[in-house]
Amino acid sequence: MSGHATKEFKVRWGMVIDVDKCTGCGACMVACQVENNIAPATPEMDAWAGVTHDASNKLRTLTWMLVYEINNKKAFPEYEAAYMPRPCMQCASPACVPVCPVVATDKNEEGGIVSQVYPRCIGCRYCMAACPYHARYFNWFDPTWPTGMDKGLSPSTSVRPRGVVEKCNFCHTRFQQAKDKARQDGGDPNNLPDGAYVTACAEVCPTGAIVFGDLNNPEHKVHALAHSKYAFRLLEKLGLGPQVYYYSKREWVHRLGDNYLPNEKKA
Amino acid sequence: MGLDRRAFIKFVVGGAAGTLFTPIPWKLADDASIWSQNWSWIPRLKYGALTADATYSKLCPAGCAVKVKKVAGIAYGVEGNSANELSKGGVCPLCATGSQMLRSPSRVAGPMKKDGDKFKPISWDEAEALLAEKLKGLKGQDGKVAAISGDLSGTANEVLSGFLAGLGSKSYFYMPADQTAMAKTWNGVMGGSGQIGYDLEEADLILCIGADIMDAFGPVVRNQKAFAAKRPMEGDKALTLVYAGPVRNRTAAVADKWVAVRPDGAAAFAMGLVNLLAKSGKSASLGGFSEFADLAAKFGPEAVEKLAGVNAEALKDVAKALFTAKNPVVVVGTEPGQGAGVALNAAGVALNAMLGSLTVLPEFPKAVASAPDRAGLLAKDLVGWLNAVDAGKAPAPEVLFVYEANPAYALPQAANMAKALRKAGTLVAFSTFMDETAALADLVLPAPHPFERLDDAQNPYGLGKATYALATAVVAPEKDCKGTPDFILGLSGKLGVDLGFGAFEDVLKAKVSAIGADWDALAGGAAYVSDKKGSAQASLDAGALSKALAGIKGEGLVLVAQAHLNIGTGKLATPPHNLPTIRDTELYGKDVFVQMCSATAKSLGVSEGSKVKLAAGGADISARVSLYEGVMPGVVAAPLGLGRTAWDPYTKGKGDNVSKILAVSAEPGTGFSVWAGSAVSVAKM
Repeated sequence: MSGHATKEFKVRWGMVIDVDKCTGCGACMVACQVENNIAPATPEMDAWAGVTHDASNKLRTLTWMLVYEINNKKAFPEYEAAYMPRPCMQCASPACVPVCPVVATDKNEEGGIVSQVYPRCIGCRYCMAACPYHARYFNWFDPTWPTGMDKGLSPSTSVRPRGVVEKCNFCHTRFQQAKDKARQDGGDPNNLPDGAYVTACAEVCPTGAIVFGDLNNPEHKVHALAHSKYAFRLLEKLGLGPQVYYYSKREWVHRLGDNYLPNEKKA
Repeated sequence: MGLDRRAFIKFVVGGAAGTLFTPIPWKLADDASIWSQNWSWIPRLKYGALTADATYSKLCPAGCAVKVKKVAGIAYGVEGNSANELSKGGVCPLCATGSQMLRSPSRVAGPMKKDGDKFKPISWDEAEALLAEKLKGLKGQDGKVAAISGDLSGTANEVLSGFLAGLGSKSYFYMPADQTAMAKTWNGVMGGSGQIGYDLEEADLILCIGADIMDAFGPVVRNQKAFAAKRPMEGDKALTLVYAGPVRNRTAAVADKWVAVRPDGAAAFAMGLVNLLAKSGKSASLGGFSEFADLAAKFGPEAVEKLAGVNAEALKDVAKALFTAKNPVVVVGTEPGQGAGVALNAAGVALNAMLGSLTVLPEFPKAVASAPDRAGLLAKDLVGWLNAVDAGKAPAPEVLFVYEANPAYALPQAANMAKALRKAGTLVAFSTFMDETAALADLVLPAPHPFERLDDAQNPYGLGKATYALATAVVAPEKDCKGTPDFILGLSGKLGVDLGFGAFEDVLKAKVSAIGADWDALAGGAAYVSDKKGSAQASLDAGALSKALAGIKGEGLVLVAQAHLNIGTGKLATPPHNLPTIRDTELYGKDVFVQMCSATAKSLGVSEGSKVKLAAGGADISARVSLYEGVMPGVVAAPLGLGRTAWDPYTKGKGDNVSKILAVSAEPGTGFSVWAGSAVSVAKM
């Protein structure tokens, strides 16, 4: 168990990701970088250290959304593979929040999204150590775009300087925009209709494998999907209560999702 | 009264503790963390009016209908355009970074002329005068001027091929793709008209033979949308997907069944299905079908097992599934999206005809009357021609235009192809980016980025209905570029070649009018979709096909080159934002990885991480081994799109170009150049 209290909110934004439909194309990863002004890792940026760290050496790249390739560990011809996009899980009782010494990260009424206040972050990386999903990233380098590419930054997301921890925030600025629009249109910003607020990765996904909405709202598609018998959460045994659900009809995917040993009986 | 040690410590500790009850240290810490991050070199955001304009992105081979998001008129992102039938709101990983590629470090800034080993900038007028002078003396001589196009759907091809026809040249070629191989089969060998289509939206069973419909075959995003629409998370699925191919690729990952088939045995597998369906009473109204069925009888389950590595029961299961499905569709193609022969495509056509699923799309009417027919051009064999030029068996052109293509990098036996290209007197590259072909060229004439230009797409290959989409310029050009068709129209005017138009916009308006579509609706982002069907009349040439099929051996180690859209295409190197999507098992540092199963690795004496040399067709590449049980024994899989020698620091020198070792051979009976499933040798380094 996580050992600390679980926060409950009226609105709980979350995802259901259909592993059986994800082709691992990577469009969600690219859309996430563009939406959130994540700079591509420039090959020369670590020249001062005499080491080239570019994006084909992923030790220091920022990928708020990362697509894992998983398999059933069997040999040909029984081998099966699947793809598992992994954003921040926005846990109900996040492991990252209590370890932050400067309260730079918090889970609040903003739909249960775990926030990250970059100016407050002192880069100690305790949260990275605490997160079992490896969803947090330390930005080792100043964000530098290829010459001219910085002209086309998204106006929604501030650019983070080096030395802070970054992570997916469910494109939180889109949430703000959706609430503003609801207010302008005379709607209820605290009861957005399904589809009024979607993340960049869900919007771009060509197979519709990523479904986004309010998990607490029965009128949102994710509500029913999260209650499906085929839905599961990563490392559920830890009790962090992620707001990202996965969906698969394959038993081996479920077992891998909760890190069961090959012969361990599933709870 | 003195200050003793005890009093001093009390004062210091008390003072330190006391400050903690004031806001001073906390405010200082907060300010320090803010100001220590507030550096002047961190880019600032631009604010202004937010807009989104619809267009059609041709960065990926199939094209994505997108909306370009702008802030104060500057493009910063894309979103899918759900109002367009082509991609229905989805975006591929290449077009997702379309706005960023407007400012790619690889973009060509303006027209350039080769000067020794370097380029020097010239003006558009100088470029036009220079080419007009060169072409003047070549008019009326066939073979002296040639062109290669990598845009298989644009009306720009009518302008370019019409221009060549006006100069008296028939040497217009398209870059090879599954579409060109099918055109050779359907329009060439079988004598059919129109374009073969695949109505995936209506299918209840899709059998992909080689075709990686989720990554490399046809309109990938539309394929993904068609798949997803019939596979709701809630409720029953209305579609079964079966993938038959050598690698558990992205299509196989979401398929209900993966049937491992050797890439050199794909045609034999398809013929085995023809045989079983014919035995079950299925027939087709194609000319020569009975002789074809007799030919298929030679591909009984045992023969297929030997040639394709598929056991008899698996073959029968697939045949039964096809027989019992209400609306099955068979999609034939190759993992890399190129290099198949006529035999596989003819078997695919026959299968769909037997199952009542043969879809033929009518060609849209031409706008440029003097342009040759598209289907005939698509059926031409570029690789065969360049091989002949390389061998000195065909004359090298005096002027060679390359439009939206990168043949120096992307063709099989790439080194030989680059050698043949260099034989051209003047190589002219119409390219948005400084790719390998542009680097070789004598003249580089930058084409606008897809978001900066007027363009179109007619019948992108793989669709089930005749479809037309228009791309409009949604941002101002950021470089000194010019639309290639407009440049050609200007050049044709100087040379006295009358194409009937003075500007490309007029060509497209004539095209839209001839189709009967609405310009405003198309410019607003909608696609024109027609329900008209083409003629399904054609003949199977059992004589030629029997020779082609006799060439299948099913022995030795074969190479499967895999095209992954996120890595890039032949004409577009990996965009900087896409690099993190490449797995460590595909590229790490500068090493490309080839995948094989443990049984193959054992037979070769290699293990995970071993450095190996792969050789075929007189060329070789070095790579590392990644063990992947999703590759069938006897097969080595390698990703295309790496090993760039031009482009930018993000891509240059990473891995090796697998195209170099795709060995070309002439298909027996048809003479068509084929390289899918070519043999390869692997040696430990």
